[in-house]
Amino acid sequence: MSQAELTMDEHSTSPMVGTAFSIPSKKLAMWLFIIADTMTFAACLVVYGFLRNGTANWPRPFHSITNVAIMTFILLTSSLTMLIGVRSARLGDKASAFRWTMVTAVLGIVFALLHIREWQGLIAEGMTLFKNPWGTGLFGASFFSITGLHLTHVVSGIIALLVVGVRYKGGRYNADDVEILGLYWHFVDLVWMFVVPLVYLLNLSH
Amino acid sequence: MTTAVQHKSDGIGKDLVIYVCLLALAGFQFLIAYQNLDSTQMLVRMLAVGCVEASLAVMFFMHLWSERRAFLVFVVVFTVAVLLGMQFGWTDSTRMVVGAPYSNVK
Amino acid sequence: MHDMSAPVAHQHAPPTSFIRKYVFSLDHKVIGKQYYGLALLAAYVGMGLSWLMRFHLAWNSTAIPGLQFLSASGAPGGVMTPEYYLQLMTMHGTIMVFFVLTTAPFAAFGNYFLPIQVGAEDMPFPRFNMMSFWVTFTAFLVLMSSFFVGDGPTLGGWTQYAPLNAIGSVGGPGQGTGVVLWAVSIALFCVGQLLGALNFISTTLDLRVKGMSMMRLPLSAWSWFITSCIGLTAFAVLMPACILVILDHVAGTSFFVASGLVMNDQVLPHSGGSTLLWQHLFWFFGHPEVYIAIVPSMGIVSHILLANQRKPMLSQRVLIYSMGALAVLSYMVYGHHMFVSGMNPFSSLVFSFPTLVITIPSTIIVLIWTFSLYGSKLRINSASLFSLGFISMFVSGGVSGFFLAQPSIDIMLHATYFVVGHFHLVMGVAAMFGIFAGTYFWFPKITGRMMSEPLGKLHFWLSFVGAYCIFMPFHYLGMAGNVRRYSTFVDDFLQPLIPVHKFITIAAFVTGAAQLIFLYNLFYSRFKGAPAPDNPWEATSLEWSTATPPPFDNFGGKHPIVYHDPYQYGVKSSVGDYVMQTSPEQVETEFEEK
Repeated sequence: MSQAELTMDEHSTSPMVGTAFSIPSKKLAMWLFIIADTMTFAACLVVYGFLRNGTANWPRPFHSITNVAIMTFILLTSSLTMLIGVRSARLGDKASAFRWTMVTAVLGIVFALLHIREWQGLIAEGMTLFKNPWGTGLFGASFFSITGLHLTHVVSGIIALLVVGVRYKGGRYNADDVEILGLYWHFVDLVWMFVVPLVYLLNLSH
Repeated sequence: MTTAVQHKSDGIGKDLVIYVCLLALAGFQFLIAYQNLDSTQMLVRMLAVGCVEASLAVMFFMHLWSERRAFLVFVVVFTVAVLLGMQFGWTDSTRMVVGAPYSNVK
Repeated sequence: MHDMSAPVAHQHAPPTSFIRKYVFSLDHKVIGKQYYGLALLAAYVGMGLSWLMRFHLAWNSTAIPGLQFLSASGAPGGVMTPEYYLQLMTMHGTIMVFFVLTTAPFAAFGNYFLPIQVGAEDMPFPRFNMMSFWVTFTAFLVLMSSFFVGDGPTLGGWTQYAPLNAIGSVGGPGQGTGVVLWAVSIALFCVGQLLGALNFISTTLDLRVKGMSMMRLPLSAWSWFITSCIGLTAFAVLMPACILVILDHVAGTSFFVASGLVMNDQVLPHSGGSTLLWQHLFWFFGHPEVYIAIVPSMGIVSHILLANQRKPMLSQRVLIYSMGALAVLSYMVYGHHMFVSGMNPFSSLVFSFPTLVITIPSTIIVLIWTFSLYGSKLRINSASLFSLGFISMFVSGGVSGFFLAQPSIDIMLHATYFVVGHFHLVMGVAAMFGIFAGTYFWFPKITGRMMSEPLGKLHFWLSFVGAYCIFMPFHYLGMAGNVRRYSTFVDDFLQPLIPVHKFITIAAFVTGAAQLIFLYNLFYSRFKGAPAPDNPWEATSLEWSTATPPPFDNFGGKHPIVYHDPYQYGVKSSVGDYVMQTSPEQVETEFEEK
């Protein structure tokens, strides 16, 4: 939205008071969704912590941090590319915004593929939702639930990036929509910042 | 109204700085993982770093810092209050191991 | 310009086809009516279940004709087994709490009147709104289907305590498929309410018409706003909890089953989980849910009382703050449901304190109502009578909360009828009275016809006296040691209490029958009632300034402008003792809440 449109909102042409926080309703709704989703992830992490606390010999099976470090790097970088895309959309540079949205989606896909490969490795080692070779079955249950929930968010995000990117290029969506999707993508990144230390790093074998 | 204008006028430089900070903090978490600490100490440090990371991401990547202050307060207070409400149950978690909920046994 | 200040709502034109108009409608008013219909259906199903249970409690060996056709194994020959009693009890609780007390005062009235009260054409996300209803409706169908699948619905109670909720069929009838259906239903319900909460909050914050500052919102709009803030976070916690229960069933995990549990002489294969974990998660949702049920009724009742007492509230601002305080505190007190769960006794102490503190805003609210009523010439009609009834039920049920908030007393009373009486009065019946009050008050606006007042008053007195006859004796039963969740009372010490149970059962039948008067009144007035004027109660808020029933875009293409605080009663103006919010007229004794 341009400066002129914004000031119009504060003067009397509109029949409404104007939005409470001077952001579009869609953006407010995305923030509200993020608050709700924070609670969903927090509940899952509380479940994990609660069970981990209550288990005498919690397995610590991870040997290498290479994979998770690469994944973290990729996801953080995808947040940066998303920011560039949002900025381009704000400045009206459609081609650039589309390009960077697609770069973000590709980084997301790489992240998801690395994640799935990691899952496959763990499954090959005998880890399932209810048992694993290292100790209590709760380890697999909580690992797969939390990372699975996160992966679901990543995959939904990739689909949304592709859809919004294409439709933004085609003119059906505008810069606001790109920015709002950006919020979601950064949130997925933010959750990962807690999943990594709690689910991976605390379970590193020494 | 200033928010949208600020988004434009701030260069990409600030984003890059935040990005590098986030990478450094994430790296810091990995370093903590290799310290010779017990789980509790490690958890506390990692969570502290994670919270710093999260605030950077929320404030600058998600631009909460440049929204209206009222909105910032709404989101932060709302989220933190509910998250704090979720922390009541911890003393019950250890009882499966030690049989008593209020024991200090690790 | 995109939807910065958003009269975007009705970019969709009025629908013409039957399906778009009445079934998959995007209109918040139709969705509100759909929610009301769902709640109505659910309420009568829930009431029917309570009749079956009450009958069995009083005459436990007498057959209920036809019950065997509902479940051949659960009620052989028409006499229900203890397990089937528990299954009916679970369904009664689940249906009432989720599909009546949450949907009717919050989703139904809120959908219909929140946009109108803020002056909007519709909610900002009509598609989410439509999805919200249909997801909720699907949730109801899934829940009801458990009556007819496998060995019937789950028997775990509406709280679905672990480990019973996670161990599968070995736990009894309905603990296999029944629990999974229950968890799927509730997870869907959570999604529906999350979508609703998004819409409610953004409607209140973003779609207010010019002049409508937050402090000029009617109290009912405030209560829906506060409730949706609670719902947004509470349902987001219950949803993953339900998914984990489903995983325990279908994927072999054991989040909620401890190691080495022996059930029916079998050692269960699950190991390692925690039963208390479920209770923490559930009640973290469950206590806020109590306020999701009661706060909208508080707002509705305040709204109605103001229109009938013809004078302002003692302090509207304090009333709003108190409702907000209830919302905040509701996240800090949930452990008082768990005093007997084996929770850390120190936590009990910690939870007991905010539980006692939460009585302060509740008391403030009640005192504001009472003192505002003092000295008013209250107009007596069905709506105001039910509002008074609400206050009465809320106080009577709330007072026992002071006792139950203390672990030392609660431990003795928790598993008895005392608690059953407490929550039925304070949350169940009170919220139902709020729903009835809202129905009598808003029915003319929704349908364009008045409800029958004599029938309404008859309905009120029968319900009011009946509800006390049913639920007051529950407290005495509880103090006499009558355990809850038993289907038959065979112990010696319970025998003297059987006459009390018979009395309650008869009262329940009479009170239940009185609800048929309401149903008759509802449908008769819908088609044959006297035509309603636009503002039959001489009320001030925006819903009364538009046509009856409101047109598709609520205000007929115009945008109202708000000049006054919501409740300008007891002033002198050209129309009488009130000034509409939309009237530009200035009056001298204007009551302003600054």
